[in-house]
Amino acid sequence: MSVIGKRFVEQVKTTGWKSTIAQRLDDGFTRFTAGLSWNDVRGVLRGDPAPKPNPRVKPHTEAFWFHIRPTFYHEAVTTLYPTFRLGLLSAVFFTIEIITGIFLMIFYTPSPERAYTNMIDILTNVPFGSFMRDLHRLGAEAMVIVVTLHMARTFATGSYKKPRQFTWFTGVVLLIVTLFLSFSGYLLPWDQLSFWAVTIGTSMADAAPVFGPTVNLLLRGAPDIGAGGLLRFYLMHVVLFPLIGIIFVAVHYYKVVRWGISLPPEMEPIGEDNARKVPPDKRVNFLPDIATNEIMYAGVAFAILAISAATWYNAPLETHANPLATPNHTVAPWYFYWLQGLLKIPHIIPILPGPIAGALDQFFANVLGLTPKVFWGVIVGPLVFVLLFAVPYIDPNPSRRYGDRKIMLSLGGVFAALILYLSLAGIPTGVPVTGFGYVGGTPPSEIAQEFMPDEGEGELMTIPFDQMIVGEHAVKPDANVPNAPKLNQVLAEVYHSMEKRKTTADPLGQILNEEATASVKITQIQPDLKQISIIINYLDTTGAAQQYVKYKFIHKDSGRAH
Amino acid sequence: MIIKKIVTYRPSFTVRILAGLISFMVIIAACMVTGVADLTQALTTRDTAYRSRLIEEGARVYMDQCARCHGVEGKGIEGQGPSLSSSNFFNNRVKEVGWNSTLETYIAAVTKSGIPLKSSPMWEVTHPPFLDRFGGPLREDQIDNVVRFIMNWRQAPIDTADVVEAPKPGEAFAPMPTPVPLTAAQEEGKNLFLSNGCNACHAIRGVANGAIGPSLNKLYEDALKWISSEEYKASQGKATTPEEYIRESIVNPQAFIVPECPQGACPAGVMPANYADTIPAADLDKLIDYLSTLGRPTQ
Repeated sequence: MSVIGKRFVEQVKTTGWKSTIAQRLDDGFTRFTAGLSWNDVRGVLRGDPAPKPNPRVKPHTEAFWFHIRPTFYHEAVTTLYPTFRLGLLSAVFFTIEIITGIFLMIFYTPSPERAYTNMIDILTNVPFGSFMRDLHRLGAEAMVIVVTLHMARTFATGSYKKPRQFTWFTGVVLLIVTLFLSFSGYLLPWDQLSFWAVTIGTSMADAAPVFGPTVNLLLRGAPDIGAGGLLRFYLMHVVLFPLIGIIFVAVHYYKVVRWGISLPPEMEPIGEDNARKVPPDKRVNFLPDIATNEIMYAGVAFAILAISAATWYNAPLETHANPLATPNHTVAPWYFYWLQGLLKIPHIIPILPGPIAGALDQFFANVLGLTPKVFWGVIVGPLVFVLLFAVPYIDPNPSRRYGDRKIMLSLGGVFAALILYLSLAGIPTGVPVTGFGYVGGTPPSEIAQEFMPDEGEGELMTIPFDQMIVGEHAVKPDANVPNAPKLNQVLAEVYHSMEKRKTTADPLGQILNEEATASVKITQIQPDLKQISIIINYLDTTGAAQQYVKYKFIHKDSGRAH
Repeated sequence: MIIKKIVTYRPSFTVRILAGLISFMVIIAACMVTGVADLTQALTTRDTAYRSRLIEEGARVYMDQCARCHGVEGKGIEGQGPSLSSSNFFNNRVKEVGWNSTLETYIAAVTKSGIPLKSSPMWEVTHPPFLDRFGGPLREDQIDNVVRFIMNWRQAPIDTADVVEAPKPGEAFAPMPTPVPLTAAQEEGKNLFLSNGCNACHAIRGVANGAIGPSLNKLYEDALKWISSEEYKASQGKATTPEEYIRESIVNPQAFIVPECPQGACPAGVMPANYADTIPAADLDKLIDYLSTLGRPTQ
């Protein structure tokens, strides 16, 4: 008999078999928890105060995952303020993205011939496929928000100041990694939305002087996005950026542990950093308090995400990418709206009166080859990130207290307001009231786009199939097509939209002539397929009679009606 | 005060454990709900919806690319392309041509690579390749969608009398009527037809392939038919002979608009109304002389 067997028999002889098995099981348990016996864990779970000496610090020296976490936190940072748990939540969403991403990778091929079909397969043939895709997409959006808020919080509490300048620096790298992760993932479904959003994004790179076209070529793999570009974006999305992200998360978190989580500003003497000098009576042990706290926040965040993905949220999938047809009102992803807004600034120095600003633009264009688009989109845009990197190094104020940082906090507020304003200007409807950034076609095309958008659903497309009564129906407020309440409602809505455009000009000064009329024509194409057209008769700016027609095919089972 | 309470909130141990447990139950519930939904109905519902949308996409491509030869309703157009919606097409075509696979793959293959017809002519126009890799305008997924759209006629094939069927292999197409030799003036008229861009919208067998306005293959015959019709008498048209009718159609196209064009009902206001100003009177006579030879019975 082996030595181990002999010991076991001897133990059974001296203490009885029950206690021997219990003790052996407990040994195994202790190995698994890296130092906590079953009784210790039970104490943790029951919320018992830590015994002395505290066995709960042992995993911090024995186990890898515990050793990268501090043994205790300062009591002052365990309330919601000052951290709001945003750093933790960023890490949680990053983890969710990796897990759901690996699931989606199984069913995906980065090739223009296969990618879109794969997407439809994920939605229609893979159990949990749609759920995983919704989680991945919504988690990515949430991660961008949480990471941005995390940075805003760090700025507000002055936590970027000495000694945490480099922590901030790695944090800005992680913000950029997050944005690029999200952006590179945008292209992969290979639908119209992704194709054109990424075309816009990479066109900005193309506009850069000197190296722009080269960068664009490297990104796209060809002058236009195609098989090469998709493969490159895929590799950036699943290899390059996750790798950079993981490396920088490691550095970032090492710095967080090294310097401790900064205390609320009012608790520290000016210019000092006491995060690591925690008096014994202010210590909150990681086990169990911080750990359960973190698990709770992670759990609640994931639960909200899961419920959203399972119920109201559906990740969009538009029609197959078509390089030959740009949908109306194409936009970059929402977190790059501000960049699109920057591109719409008409002059390099926009505060000057128009003619002078125009003359200066001429001067810049002739002497430096600098157009307003290149200046704002390619030089000022990236400068925003340079500015973020530089924040801790250019802020000379040693105090973290809000009262002492009025200038910096105001600048931060102005910066946030500017980004919001530019984001509004970046979307086609532009900024409310001023109309800055408005992009629109002729009034008829905008009406058609409102009720029958090139991509996505419009009111005219969500009429129930049996209410699409074949024939030509004039648009009027009291439309009364029998047995078609929804059709009548939409006809009235189109009428009111027309009336509105007849009385108020859009920000470009375009207005619909008073006599313009419209009708909706529905034709049966196949037993379960109808063609629905919106036909607008109007006078163009020269006074010539014009007809604008836009049509869609609607299948009975397309699941649009609601 | 409330804000201060919120920001200094520290959940008690019990709250943490409870909130955590509830969250995990919610997550598991969300997974179970999706799992059960996916495995019972949701996958099928989404499958139907996406397949329907692919048919919609196919319809758009068909109307843009295929309808000009095969017709909006897939009934076929004489001399241009055979029916794609008749029972004969769905039941017999694969056997007739000896295709060793399904009709879907036959449609896809013909659409993608075309049919080189010089060897065994069924129609005087060949089927061009439509796949981008073969020099055509369409991507593979678009052609797949067109196949879905055409196959969607199978549930209710169209078998009306005006369906144009393809001749069976070995059978030649109906021979073109022996062309009447054109006079020098008519020959000039034909060149005027091309140089004024009429061919962009109108089709004449062997001359032009336009598919926006009505086909002019049997213009004389059609004109004779129209001037005696009730619709024409009710319109602003004043022509009494086919030649007058053709002249009127060129100089005053709004006077009477024929109902059917290759892509559905003929649209009003598309044909320019200023040819009387842009084409000199002598040329106009030659053009009309040429056009009235189309479909004119030979004595």
